[in-house]
Amino acid sequence: MKRELHLTVNGVSYHRLIDTHRTLLEVIRDEIGLTGTKNGCGQGECGACTVLLDGEPVNSCMVLAHEADGHDVVTIEGLADGAVLHPVQRAFVETGAIQCGFCTPGMVLSAKALLDRNPDPTRQEILDGLKGNLCRCTGYVKIIEAVQAASCLLDEEEAS
Amino acid sequence: MKTCIVRRGLPRIDAVPKVTGEARYTVDLKMPGMLIGKILRSPHPHARIRSIDVSAARELEGVLAVITAEDVPGTLFAFMQVMADKHILCTDKVRYVGDEVAAVAAVDDDTAEKAIGLIEVDYELLPPVLSVEDALKPDAPLVHEDKDSNLGFEVERLFGDPDKALAEADYVVEGTYVTHDLAHTCLEVSNCVVKWDKKDRVTVWTNTQAPHTQRQEVARLLGIPRANVRVISSYMGGGFGSKLVTDMKAPIAAVLSRITGRPVRIVNTRSEEFTTAKTRYPYTIHLKTGANKDGRIVVRDMTVIGDNGAYHDKGPATINFSAMMFGTLYNVPNIRAVGKLIYTNRQMGTAFRGFGNPQMAFATESQLDELAEKMGMDPLELRLRNANHAMETTSCGAEVCGCAMTECMEIAAERIGWKQKRNGANGTVLRGVGLANMVHTGGGGRFYGYNSTEAFIKLSDDGTVTLITSALDMGQGAHTAMAQIAAEELGVRLSDVIVLSNDTDLTPYDLGAWGSRATFMNGNAVFEAAREARLALIEAAAEMLEVPAADILVEEGQISVKGSDEKHAIAEIVDHSVNEHGWTISGTGRFVDKLPEGYTIKSAFAKNIPCFSFGTQAVEVEIDAETGQVHVLKVIAAHETGTTINQVMAEGQIEGSVVQGIGFALMERLISEEGRIVNDRFLDYKIPNIGDIPEIEAVCVESEGTKGPLGAKGIGEPGLVPTAPAIANAIYDAIGVRFHELPITREEVVKALREKRE
Amino acid sequence: MEAFDYMRPTSVVDACAALREAGGTARALAGGTDILVQMREGKLRPAALVSLRDVPGLRSVRRAQDGGLTIGAATRLIDIETSPDVLRDHAALAEAASWIGSVQVRDRATIGGNLCNAAPSADTAPILIAYGSSVTISDGRDERTLPLEDFFTGPGETVLEPGELLTAISVPPAPARSHAKYYKTFRSAMDCCTVGVAVLVVFAPDSRVVEDARVVLGAIAPTPIRAPRCEEMLRGKELDTALMASVGALAAEEARPIDDVRASAEYRRVLAEVLTKRALAAADSWLQKGAGA
Ligand SMILES: Cc1cc2nc3c(=O)[nH]c(=O)nc-3n(C[C@H](O)[C@H](O)[C@H](O)COP(=O)(O)OP(=O)(O)OC[C@H]3O[C@@H](n4cnc5c(N)ncnc54)[C@H](O)[C@@H]3O)c2cc1C
Repeated sequence: MKRELHLTVNGVSYHRLIDTHRTLLEVIRDEIGLTGTKNGCGQGECGACTVLLDGEPVNSCMVLAHEADGHDVVTIEGLADGAVLHPVQRAFVETGAIQCGFCTPGMVLSAKALLDRNPDPTRQEILDGLKGNLCRCTGYVKIIEAVQAASCLLDEEEAS
Repeated sequence: MKTCIVRRGLPRIDAVPKVTGEARYTVDLKMPGMLIGKILRSPHPHARIRSIDVSAARELEGVLAVITAEDVPGTLFAFMQVMADKHILCTDKVRYVGDEVAAVAAVDDDTAEKAIGLIEVDYELLPPVLSVEDALKPDAPLVHEDKDSNLGFEVERLFGDPDKALAEADYVVEGTYVTHDLAHTCLEVSNCVVKWDKKDRVTVWTNTQAPHTQRQEVARLLGIPRANVRVISSYMGGGFGSKLVTDMKAPIAAVLSRITGRPVRIVNTRSEEFTTAKTRYPYTIHLKTGANKDGRIVVRDMTVIGDNGAYHDKGPATINFSAMMFGTLYNVPNIRAVGKLIYTNRQMGTAFRGFGNPQMAFATESQLDELAEKMGMDPLELRLRNANHAMETTSCGAEVCGCAMTECMEIAAERIGWKQKRNGANGTVLRGVGLANMVHTGGGGRFYGYNSTEAFIKLSDDGTVTLITSALDMGQGAHTAMAQIAAEELGVRLSDVIVLSNDTDLTPYDLGAWGSRATFMNGNAVFEAAREARLALIEAAAEMLEVPAADILVEEGQISVKGSDEKHAIAEIVDHSVNEHGWTISGTGRFVDKLPEGYTIKSAFAKNIPCFSFGTQAVEVEIDAETGQVHVLKVIAAHETGTTINQVMAEGQIEGSVVQGIGFALMERLISEEGRIVNDRFLDYKIPNIGDIPEIEAVCVESEGTKGPLGAKGIGEPGLVPTAPAIANAIYDAIGVRFHELPITREEVVKALREKRE
Repeated sequence: MEAFDYMRPTSVVDACAALREAGGTARALAGGTDILVQMREGKLRPAALVSLRDVPGLRSVRRAQDGGLTIGAATRLIDIETSPDVLRDHAALAEAASWIGSVQVRDRATIGGNLCNAAPSADTAPILIAYGSSVTISDGRDERTLPLEDFFTGPGETVLEPGELLTAISVPPAPARSHAKYYKTFRSAMDCCTVGVAVLVVFAPDSRVVEDARVVLGAIAPTPIRAPRCEEMLRGKELDTALMASVGALAAEEARPIDDVRASAEYRRVLAEVLTKRALAAADSWLQKGAGA
């Protein structure tokens, strides 16, 4: 069964006829063609498919596309401002928090959402905020550093 | 040594595409007309196929092909062809839950899934062998009926006279250690797209760690000339050994593509990844160690029984390799290493970061602590007395090059607070510290009878440097390391280097990314290519500037002349050279790891390893005696890197390994019931998440005397080898219970504590 | 995932009507974090999903004068864990909610979904039962209210009839001098509970004597269960270490656990004992510290 779907993704509005059993992840990847959002498990366990729905991180594999109808989605492709990386992205690059990169888009968006809600998180708050994103490569050490660094970069940005 | 680009923690060259979502992985590829392939897999661990009815599936709208064994080449395959035992699609029998039985290609995922559901297979159930013990019973059913028994492989290596040494040693300890099957759980599942084109060329886009050997494997499976196969890999979401040997997806997709004339994609589901993407080999290790009163280990004797699963893969290689590490870790004069691989009706094993060595290290380094206790000696002291040293050759023939073993031990012990915390000296009863050593290859191996590779560099007239290398980046950062080595030697900036890789039509033949091999092997070739290109560049500059070549300096993308302030961009020189004279500037580097005198594949043993890398990890744990929860508080991981090419990336390799080691020690295990894996998802197959990690201090210990590029050693695997025994030893220090089996779960800890009280 | 009908009604009446009309296999869709997983695994094949997204009035927390809470069934867990109204007197509920899944999960998952899914391991159930909560069920015409502990009938099963919705959860005011605590154990930092235990202790005025208590065990029986013998043993006694130990041991006896991939039955009993003891110890230390003052 198809149904009309309105979505704003990274500021661009889309209007499509979409099967009701499609997930937000499938629509983002297959219909809109943004493949930065990854499918890691399809069960909400790994967080590779994390996107921001009205600014909040969700597993897009567990959201029916039509449940997001009329709402605003930001994917990893929508984070940088042209060629200028978002401070969270910059922090991930500079601290070496990236290895294979498959978890990175979700990890970065979870980190951004965490810092939006809590600009100066403690170590424990970082762990709580990112425990829905699995990474098999880095051992997470540099990811924690990246979030701490991003918090500082955002502070600096605020100050200037 | 003055270095500008190596040693520093420069950001990876692929960090920006990865952090912006631009990086395309194989699962992201889309092609016009692409079909979705799916595989019907056996639901039974052991059964005869009586018949397969595909008619309903064929009739379903949107289905373009349905295939069974009749439609595919009848090749028998294994990583080592002499051991071939697996068909592309099962012919008469299925041998594990997940074995490939039939496949479909359809217009979309839903249709393919539905078609799979419409295929009817009539099975005659056979009694399965689900454990090594069952498989070895005299009347056990045979996994492969053409073989005499379920013994798949056997090897014995002997140095000195272990029986005599055991009889004469002052102290002997003996024990059995058990490890279980683990899943690699790469975040990108194994997947491929295959196009069989009108010129009979088969192009395979896949996430592989070894494109060139996979190309040979696919050709072998399909029975077509190698020339007709091209393998292309993209950005890759993890490997860890799971993607060294092809599985049947590629040949199945190839046949589906030939039939339909369209590209066919097959992607594992996460469940298939857990149940069919192969595991770390479970080992049962019987081990004896003997030492004399002076603290010298004089003998080690072990028998490894490996669960092979239903088919051969990297089993023999892992058993052999782990035996080499067993023989090399300490210089022990009398050694016996026996290995056996047993067929069972279970998922097959394969390489997994450490290649048998983590299993082995759990046994040997746990037992060393048991020995120390029996001798009344501090386990650190026992290890220090038996440490290897630089430039020695061990009794099993290992040529130890640069070696920082003692230094690694000292750093790890010092930083964990060994003296203060050992034996509960820290006051809190349920805390403990432990440590373990490791040795691993730091440069692949000569197991194919050779170990070599090549690289090419060309400079464009705009000054960019294109590096063509087979070094494969599965996430570990090989491309960045190669670019750094090229930039360092050539005298250009890192941002000037473009790396081209991963297409077998483009790159030179290479054995792939395994055995902590890329930095050492590919790095050496890149170094040579850069050196040659640098000489050509200097020659061109000398000509243009009319000064002697010896006076030319190349640094950070600039050419200068000794004793003058004059500076020229490299682009200027190359532009002049190319456009004035038609002289192009390039370099070829070939690295052939020289075989030691008298080398033969059969006899080589530890002489297969071009470079050893030592390391020590020290761990502090805290145990909740009531729930049995083990909290790893801190890990000091001191590992030898020779020259650290990229500080941040090397630390990242160690940290990632340590966390996988924690999973191996405490959390991860595939659980099966009647041959069916029941925890085929992250909900119940727990890998460490960010909330589970301790404080980790990765220490890169530099050492000299290695033949790696700029003196570097590989660091891809070492970090997970000693983690499990270090944790087991720390647990013993905390609660006085010795675990001989992994994983050490909460439940096992509670049980053991209760038994201890009683 | 197989195809299904999808409806997005804008009132409880329409939602119930839609569920009824779509037939027995139709299901409500709240956050989707349970049901979509089950559908993808083929364990559930509903003919229709009736989305609660646009149904007003289901997504709020209200605190009455007396301190009792009324929580709309479609209130998200993230909103419960951060709600000042919940945190005020029912912090143990907020904490239990915060231990569910990840932020991504809790940004979608609802409290009603957690209860209606009726997993024996549902993390909000034990603490809600310990607080003495009740649930309101509507069929679009009539409402009925029943104690939450009577809501569950088996793993994945509740008293809900086809065409019925859970609309609200009522949590009574926390009694004076009472302390509630939920403990769960994890295999990794994000995990369903292996065992969960909620304990509410009401202390008599000016003393360490337990006036009333509720002990609720999760993931240890087909549904979350009260442990009546534990509660009985606590009543009228001074809460000392010996009592905590005896009640813990009794909790292990009252449990009816099974073996599964997460733990053996035997180990679950161990955890029931330990967590019960610890929840009681938490109440005691709260009292020692001046009863929240
Ligand atoms: C990664 C992950 C981790 C998780 N961790 C935990 C955990 O730690 N602890 C835990 O308890 N749970 C956990 N869960 C399970 C799940 O998130 C919770 O149970 C959640 O609260 C379910 O709410 P929902 O709104 O998403 O339910 P849905 O999936 O929308 O619905 C669940 C069921 O309830 C029915 N339903 C929902 N609302 C109503 C209503 N108002 N009236 C009638 N029927 C209704 C639906 O029809 C469906 O059958 C986890 C899930 C995931 C994916």
